[in-house]
Formats: sequence, structure tokens, C-alpha cells
Amino acid sequence: MGSVIIENMTKQFGDFTALHNINLEIQEGEFFALLGPSGCGKTTTMRCIAGFEHPTSGKIKIGDKEVEKIPANRRNCGMVFQSYALFPHMNVFDNVAYSLNIKQLNASNPVKQLGIYARLLSKRLGRTPKDIQEKVMEILKYVELDQHAERLTSELSGGQQQRVALARALVMEPAVLLMDEPLSNLDQKLRHSMRNTIRTIQQDLGITTIFVTHDQEEAMSMADRVAVMDKGNIVQIGTPTELYSNPLTPFIADFVGTSNILDVEVVDHNQLNGLTTLKGDSFLLQSTNTIEKKQAKAVIRPEHIQVLPYDTAVNNEEVTVLEGIVVMSTYLGPTVRYDMKVGNQEMIVDTTYSSGTSIFEEGRKVKLSIEHGRVLLI
Amino acid sequence: MKARFNGLSVVKIFIYAFFGLFLIIPLLAVFLISFTNEPVNIIGTFTDPAVFSSTIDKLKAINLENYRQIFSNAGYLDSLKNSLSLALVVMVLVILICIPLAYGIARTNMPFKKTISALCTIPLIIPTFISAYAFIIMFGRAGWVTYFYEMLGGEGMLIDPYSMTGIILVQVFFFFPYALWPLVAAFKISDVTLEEASLNLGAKNWFTFIFVTFPLAIPGIISSALLIFTVSFSDFGTPIVLAPKDLNLMVVEAYREISGFFNWGGAAILTVIMIIVAALFFWLQHILTKGKNYGSVSGKPKQQKMVTNKVVTRSLSVYSFIIVLVPLLAMLSVLLQSVATTWGKDLLPSGYTLKHYQTIFSTSLGNIQNSIVLAIGALVLSVIIATFVSYFVVRQNSAKMDFMTSIPLVVPGIAFGIALIQTFNVAPLQLTGTAILLIIAYTIRRLPYMVRSTMGAMRAIKQDIEEAAINLGATPLTAAITVIGPLLLPGIAAGSVLVFITVIKETSISILLAPPEWAPMSLAIFQNILRAEYYSAAAMSVILVALVLVLQGLASYIGKKQRL
Repeated sequence: MGSVIIENMTKQFGDFTALHNINLEIQEGEFFALLGPSGCGKTTTMRCIAGFEHPTSGKIKIGDKEVEKIPANRRNCGMVFQSYALFPHMNVFDNVAYSLNIKQLNASNPVKQLGIYARLLSKRLGRTPKDIQEKVMEILKYVELDQHAERLTSELSGGQQQRVALARALVMEPAVLLMDEPLSNLDQKLRHSMRNTIRTIQQDLGITTIFVTHDQEEAMSMADRVAVMDKGNIVQIGTPTELYSNPLTPFIADFVGTSNILDVEVVDHNQLNGLTTLKGDSFLLQSTNTIEKKQAKAVIRPEHIQVLPYDTAVNNEEVTVLEGIVVMSTYLGPTVRYDMKVGNQEMIVDTTYSSGTSIFEEGRKVKLSIEHGRVLLI
Repeated sequence: MKARFNGLSVVKIFIYAFFGLFLIIPLLAVFLISFTNEPVNIIGTFTDPAVFSSTIDKLKAINLENYRQIFSNAGYLDSLKNSLSLALVVMVLVILICIPLAYGIARTNMPFKKTISALCTIPLIIPTFISAYAFIIMFGRAGWVTYFYEMLGGEGMLIDPYSMTGIILVQVFFFFPYALWPLVAAFKISDVTLEEASLNLGAKNWFTFIFVTFPLAIPGIISSALLIFTVSFSDFGTPIVLAPKDLNLMVVEAYREISGFFNWGGAAILTVIMIIVAALFFWLQHILTKGKNYGSVSGKPKQQKMVTNKVVTRSLSVYSFIIVLVPLLAMLSVLLQSVATTWGKDLLPSGYTLKHYQTIFSTSLGNIQNSIVLAIGALVLSVIIATFVSYFVVRQNSAKMDFMTSIPLVVPGIAFGIALIQTFNVAPLQLTGTAILLIIAYTIRRLPYMVRSTMGAMRAIKQDIEEAAINLGATPLTAAITVIGPLLLPGIAAGSVLVFITVIKETSISILLAPPEWAPMSLAIFQNILRAEYYSAAAMSVILVALVLVLQGLASYIGKKQRL
């Protein structure tokens, strides 16, 4: 087990800089997610840790060892590939036993090595030692696949293949577990239950885990901390709640959850009540937050806007009230999403839907109420 | 990492050198000779100053006179015309014959569909010169068909096998499977929804076939037609056995120029023209199939509505049996002849004996041995080269290497043979008449098939499988032995069986290049036919076909195992 520290890592492919000066400190036992759109460098970062790519400059430490000179096959990072990369010519048992066999092979003299090669190529030529057998069956039981040990991997379902890949990586007792978009090949329902399975196993074993994904929901629901990446840079590192409630850039506000991001001009900051007045395209907003810049962006989550009938009288000092027109309403079951127009500004509003309430029809004039504290400034 | 890269670079240079020496230089030499009209020793030019100066003199004398003469030479011009019209007629007939057959297999529930499909592979395993010879047994002056024909009141022969008609018939009945399977795929392109849409719009069934199903199959039909054209144009086995003296065909003419008259210039010009025509049609076919990978063959199978109308399916079935009956009867005739004491102008032989096989095993065992040794040599060389070539093409995206190893596909065997003889019959690399040149020629000619087979297997192994092994602690060598090797093996095995079979069947290269002490079975049969020793030719043919059948069975067994 170990921590992972990356210092000033840069990776270039020819003229293209895939990673700009990456710095990361991942604690021992932490579940850490690398989140970002495709091409942001998250997979490259992981491949550098695994040793499949070599950083152009910078350092990587696993535990307290610098791994720069250690080849990929001796880094002891268990990896779960996006495609699972199960060996198609081996059954479940042999896939999981592979790393243990290799360990034994590397520790043997040349004559014994021949025997192990023979055994790996054909089962008729030798038996797997008892200690390996026991270890493999133990981990297979752990991922609930002991019944399928003799099956070919192609005969398994997606979720089962995923668990074989996980077991294969875990059996070598890796210092770090690396997972590259492991859930992207599963269907929606399975993905949910696999999230729980992976999180439970990780907690249970207390293994340092780095998880690459482009799905913010996945990262937020599983990870202790998340690093959001964009165009080869780390934009923000934080716990899921920090990222959601305090995005540092419009990119994160938009990528982590949905946001209304409005261009505003800071008109005034009232020292007495602590309110900042903002002038938008065709509206005035107030916020309890402050910012130094003149031109800023106001970020408002859709669920933080309340929709009220136009004739409602609002007597609340804590909120800004805007007038809007419903452009479209989409019924999503528990919530209703409105596309609104406030002057020329488009806004998205999510309201919870409980039976009995009516949905504002399109074209209707409504009032929108926004708490001052919910208006973030970036 | 670096050392491995360097090692592979050396291998790459070796492969380029091999192809350069044994494919590019010979083709270049033929091209030059077609202008100089005299042999040019390209390799000698760079090693021997005397040869160098003579080459320069020859190059100075280059002119188009030779080509001009050729086009005024009625013989050559005739042979081009004849070859083109032969290929054209065969192409049209094959497509006409195949359309109902392919439609029956692809879109109807005709009875005995599986049996018919299986029988349709027979022609592919028989070398064409044996098919041609089988036609002599059937339609010749003393053939049983001729006997039948006269019994029914006909006069003379029904069809003279020694004629253009004979050649056309042999090629049509033995080349049609090359077009059949692409056509079956083409008829499966049309989706049931399209046809139902047409019916829904008020069209009748036949109308739907003519205006929906058939037009969708047209690209496939044209592409198969071009393929048949190239195959027919390049075929040497049929014309060399059946072409009468007064019928000029390019392949035969080229063979006669080189083996009879040692006319280098003439052979070179014929070779150049042959390659240009074959390459042109191959290229046309390539553009047509490019991007149209018969969507229905791979990926999600489309739903097809099968025609169940009994009148249609039964007549298609009967028709199909008639088509596959011809090659089947041809093979049976060879089999009968091989066990006949004598078989004159009669329906059946007058008696049966195994004496011809005895003769073969006592006197011609050497030919069988030669065939096997040569085929194994070509196989080993192909496996080594193809494995590396597919590695370079798949993992390093080496388009140049891909192109170079595809060149042999467009060079007719007889043309390649002539090019090799011209290049290697003089010092410093005098290889003509050696087994080595024969093996190299077989290897280069059949390498494209081998490369395709191993490349497919290599493509199926994704990069991350290799990475997974390394991630789990394996060194690159261990990963190669325990993961990549076992996964690549089926592709190599299937490819090598294919190489072995095609080398044993190979006619043109064997006839041109094999020295007497290395004569393979195909050459022995050919000589027996020329010497009118028909019974031993038949016995040897049966052994050859049996050998191919066994290997083909082995290949499909491996293929089945591979898919599991």
C-alpha cells in the first residue's frame, strides 16, 4: 500500500503537450478520481503512473520510491483497463492466477522457468501450485465468481468480466489500484451496482485507488477526493462537496453538475449588508459573495432558483426576484426542468415535482426567486 | 526498449532487401528488357564493371521500336485480343451462372442448400490444369461424354476441349466459386425492411427484385466480375493444357517465347502487358470494394426474408445441382481414370486396377517428396516474413510494407516466373534452376495470403492485452510467450496451411522454374499429360487433390477452434 505523489509532471507527444506541470498528492488508502472530458490528460496521467508512458519531465513517487527507472512490469500497480483486457485464451481462473504465476516465474531458476512456461501454455503440462490455487479461489470468492472459475471470459456477462478484471488486479496485492473508466462498458443499472461494489471493496481493503472517469456523477459518488482536469491541466482538487458548492472556474461549475453561468458586471459592494450588486444583460442580481474583478461570472445552480406564479408578492430581503418567461418545460419524473428567458438571458431552472402541483406552461410569465447566498462569483 | 527497436529495424531492412531483390528488381528488369530487347543483368551491373558498361550501352539503345514492332506483330496482338476476350467471356458467363445460384443460397430456402454450398467449394481445391485434363477425359475424342453424345445420335464431339470453347468452359465451371461467395454477400445487403417497404408501396415480388434487391447487389456483382476477369486472364493451367497450336493466348505465348525460343524481348513485352492488364483490373476492383466491406458479413446481421415459394426454390435447387455437377463429374472422371485398366471410348472403364498408384509410389515418390519439401520450405519462410510484416503493418502502421507485400497479388504467375528467370540466370546471383529460387518464388507469390491471415490475428490482439500482461508483472518477452504467441498462433497456422495448399497446387512457377531433380507433383502431372501418360497423370492428380483436401480439412478445423 502506498501514497502516490506527482511533482511537476509534464508529458509531450511531439509538439503536443498532453500534461502541463501536474502536481498531485494522493494519500494512502484514498479513493481518488481523475475527472475530465475526453482528451483532458486523465488517462495519460494514469498511464504515466502505471509506467506505460514516460513523463517528459517531473517526478512520480509511489510509497516513498521514485518510479522513474522502474519498468511497468515491476511497479506493482494493479490496473483495470477500460476494455478489461482479459486474456481471451485463458479461463477466469488462469486470468486471475497470471500475476502469481509470473511472480513465481521471476523468482525461479531457468530450468524451473521452462516448467512454468509449459504450464502456462498448456494445462496438461503441469499443475498450478496449491498456494496459488488457494489465493486465486479466495479472491474469486470475494468477487463472487468462484462458481465461474473454469469459464472462458468470453462466456461471462459485462459485470462479471469487470469483476474478473478487478480480481486479477487485486490478487497481486498492488501498492496502488488504477482504474481506467472501468464502468463505461456497462449498462446504466449495472453501473450503479458496480459503483457500490468497487467502493465497498476499496474501503474494505483500504487500498489506494486512482479512478479515471469522464462521468462526474461517478466521480462524485465514489471518490474521497476528485481532481478535475481540462486540456492537460489540473483545474481543481477537492472533495465532491467542495467542487459542487465552490467551483473555482466556470468550466468546473459547468462540468460538475449543471449551472447557469451568467456574464455580469460588478456594480457595487455594500459594506453594510455585505451584498454585491451585479448587472447582467437585462437584469440586476445581488450576491453575498465578493469578487475583486469588474467583469465576473455569476454561477447559479438550476435547483437554487425558485419558480413562482407571476402574481406572487415576495417580501424577502434575502432573495433577488427576476421576471421570466417559460420557453419550454420538461417533465422528468421527480423534477421539472424549465428553460427560461430572463430578458435576453437564458436560464435553466429545476423544480421538484410533487403530485398535485401544476407545471407552468410554455409562454407563461413567472417570477424567479434566487437567494443571495446561492449566487457564486467567479 | 532501444535495443529491441534496433533489432526490429534490422529485420525490417532485411525484409525490404528480400522483396527488393526478388520482386522489385526482377520486375524492373523485365520492364527494361521490354525496351532493350536484350537481357539486362541488373544485379551484375553493380558488381561487375564489364557488365556495367554493357548495361549502359544497352540502355543507350533504348527505344520504342520494340513496342512498335509488337503491335504490328500479328501474333502478339492476337494473343492480347484472345486473352482479353477469353477473360471477358468467362467473366460474363460466370456472373450469369452465379446470380441465380447466389440468390438461391442467400435469399431462398431452397432444398439441399448446405450440400450445394459444400459442393461449390470443390472447384477451388483443384488445380486448373487438372480440371482441364478432366475435361479431356470427359469431352475428348475418347471421352465418355462424347460416347454418350454419339449414342444419342450426335456426330463427332459435343464440345472440342482443345479449343477456346473448351478453355472457357473449364474456367467458367472451375472459377465460379470465386464470384459466388461475394455475390451471396451482395444479395444479403438488401434488408428485409427495404423490400417490405417496396411491397408496401404496391410493388410485386418480381418488381421488388428487379428494382430493389438487384440494384443493391450491383456493386458486389461488378466487383466479382472484375475479380473473375483477373483470375481468368492470369490463369496458366487451363490454356497450357487445352490451347490448340493456332490459338494464341498471352500466358501460353509468353511461356513459349521463354521456354521454346529464348526470346527475351518478346517474353518481356508480353509480361509487361500482362502485369499492366492484371494490375488495372485488380485496381478497379479494389476501388469498388473500398469502403464497401459488405456490411452484412461483419457486424450486426440484417434480417432477411427467405423466399419459400416451392416452384422457385425447387427449380433453383435443380439448377444449382446441374452447375455443381460438372466439376463433380470432372473429378469423378479423373478418379475413375486413375483406377482404370483401360478406358477407351466407353461409358465406363473396361476394368479396374491399382497398378497406376503402384507405379507412382515406385517411380514418382520423389515428386511427392519434392512437393512437400518445397511447400514446407515456402511455409517456413512465409511464416517468418509474414509474422514480422504484419507486426510492422499493424503495430507500426508501415503502409509501405503493406503495399510492397501486396504487389504479388497483381503479378500473374507466369509473368513473375519469367521475371525471375531473366534476373537470376546469370552471375553473380545465378539461382535459376535451384530449389532456393523455387522456394523464394513460391513464398513471394503466396505471401499476401499469409500476411492477411497473420495480420488479422495481430489486429485482434489489442494493445491493452499486451499492456495488461506487463502490468501484471510479465516482461515483454514473457508477455510474448504466454499471451501474444498463443493468440497469434491460430492465425499463423491457418495461413500456413493455405500457403502449403497453394504451393502444392502452383502450376506456372513450377513449370517455369523447377529443375528436373526438384520437379514437384504439379510439374510431373503436367509432363505426364504432355506425354499422353494419362493414367499415371490421373493417379498423381488424385493424390494431389487428396493431399489438398486433407490440409483443407485441417485448416477449417483450426479455423473452427480459433473462433471458440
